[in-house]
Amino acid sequence: MKLDPSFIWTALIQLLSAIPTTLVITAVSVTIGFIIGLITALLRIYKIPVLSQIAAGYVTFIRGTPMLTHLLLIYFGLPMLVDALSAQFGWSIKSSSIPMIGFAFISFSITAGAYMAEVIRSGLLAVNRGQLEAAYSVGMTTPQALRRIVFPQALAVSLPNLSNSVIGMLHGSTLVFTVSVVDINAKAQIVASTNWKFFEAYLAAAVIFWGLTLLIERITAVIEKRINLYNRGGVA
Amino acid sequence: MIQLTNITKSFGRHQVLNKIDLTVQKGEVVVILGPSGSGKTTLLRCVNYLEKPNDGEILIGDYRLNCKHASKKDIYQLRQKSAMVFQQYNLFKHKTALENVMEGLVVVKKLSKEEAKTRSIALLEKVGLGSKLDAYPSQLSGGQQQRVGIARALALEPEVILFDEPTSALDPELVGEVLAVIRKIAKEGITMIVVTHEMGFARDVANHVVFMDGGVIVEEGTPVELFNNPQEERTKQFLKRITPELNYSI
Repeated sequence: MKLDPSFIWTALIQLLSAIPTTLVITAVSVTIGFIIGLITALLRIYKIPVLSQIAAGYVTFIRGTPMLTHLLLIYFGLPMLVDALSAQFGWSIKSSSIPMIGFAFISFSITAGAYMAEVIRSGLLAVNRGQLEAAYSVGMTTPQALRRIVFPQALAVSLPNLSNSVIGMLHGSTLVFTVSVVDINAKAQIVASTNWKFFEAYLAAAVIFWGLTLLIERITAVIEKRINLYNRGGVA
Repeated sequence: MIQLTNITKSFGRHQVLNKIDLTVQKGEVVVILGPSGSGKTTLLRCVNYLEKPNDGEILIGDYRLNCKHASKKDIYQLRQKSAMVFQQYNLFKHKTALENVMEGLVVVKKLSKEEAKTRSIALLEKVGLGSKLDAYPSQLSGGQQQRVGIARALALEPEVILFDEPTSALDPELVGEVLAVIRKIAKEGITMIVVTHEMGFARDVANHVVFMDGGVIVEEGTPVELFNNPQEERTKQFLKRITPELNYSI
């Protein structure tokens, strides 16, 4: 076997069609994961009885099990649940009508949520208590204080770690091939299966992933510069 | 008028405030003195409900709150009657000087942005920071930050402004500019409760001085009474330690 440089290019062109799938899976899981993470972090910080224990259990279970396992559990478990509920309540939803990518959305959102919960929690804890007290002293309610004073500062602190999570989810999204969704990596396998030039195809996939990652890093840098305008401190 | 009745607060088994009664007339400047751990800061924070008293009653202006049955809404109501100036300034880090002052006006008082801005600029000019409107707290000196803090409190037009050791975190050189601003607004008849270790300031500006120790008010009176003729042994001891020059100035 010899390296076929021209096939790298050919594969690259063919892989482009799978980029939207990868990006959609990443975007959905990161967005929903962020919301889950924020709620989980708040439940834990405010030590809401029962719910905070559930939140802590969720974080430790999800972080303690592989992302692939989450996907498989959802893929095999969710249909059972849906069908059982449908039968119970006479709904017309059938598990077979759930699109494959739906399983990826659900399971990866759950995965991302657990990791992001810890990132967001650390960001919230990094905000000085005096900030909240000052917000109260000018008469704000807790939701107002959180939204206007605490969250923006927590976000600025968490940003580097959040971008890490986004990159992690981008790369983790390659696991969807196990439930027959064609992302960039799966597409590379398909492209190569006709001529067995796997190395070239995966190399092309690697280049695309690296490119997407660079893009995420760039976007983070721009946002960071913007929202950290106020921060002239730190060790740097 | 501000009236605290029977304010009691403990952290766990440690009783910090023991049935405190205090009345502050409108326009009065009350200075609270006392050694650290005497509960003076806690008392101030109770007025703003940053600490929740275990028992007692707080009256500010026409708003009366019983600490035993205070709902969230009552607390928000009470907090709007007072404003706090913090030892560590606690300016909103991600907002400029102007935005810091505007924040409460826009979010809490529901003023239009334009109106809030006009008022905030006027106040920042008053505290001598008209040229620093767009500076972030990290770009300001401690004294400047504290003056923004004072402007932020003034903006809300509260019944009372609470100063929690406003100059303790400052370089000695910067203390003067902050005290000058507090003096200036005291002259305008704004009601203030000030916890401080600045004896000179207490003497000049206060109408009423309160000495606290061990969670109770040991002694209170006019500055002349309290500084020149303290009645209680504990007060004498404290004043001797904190202002040794008193020994030979009399």
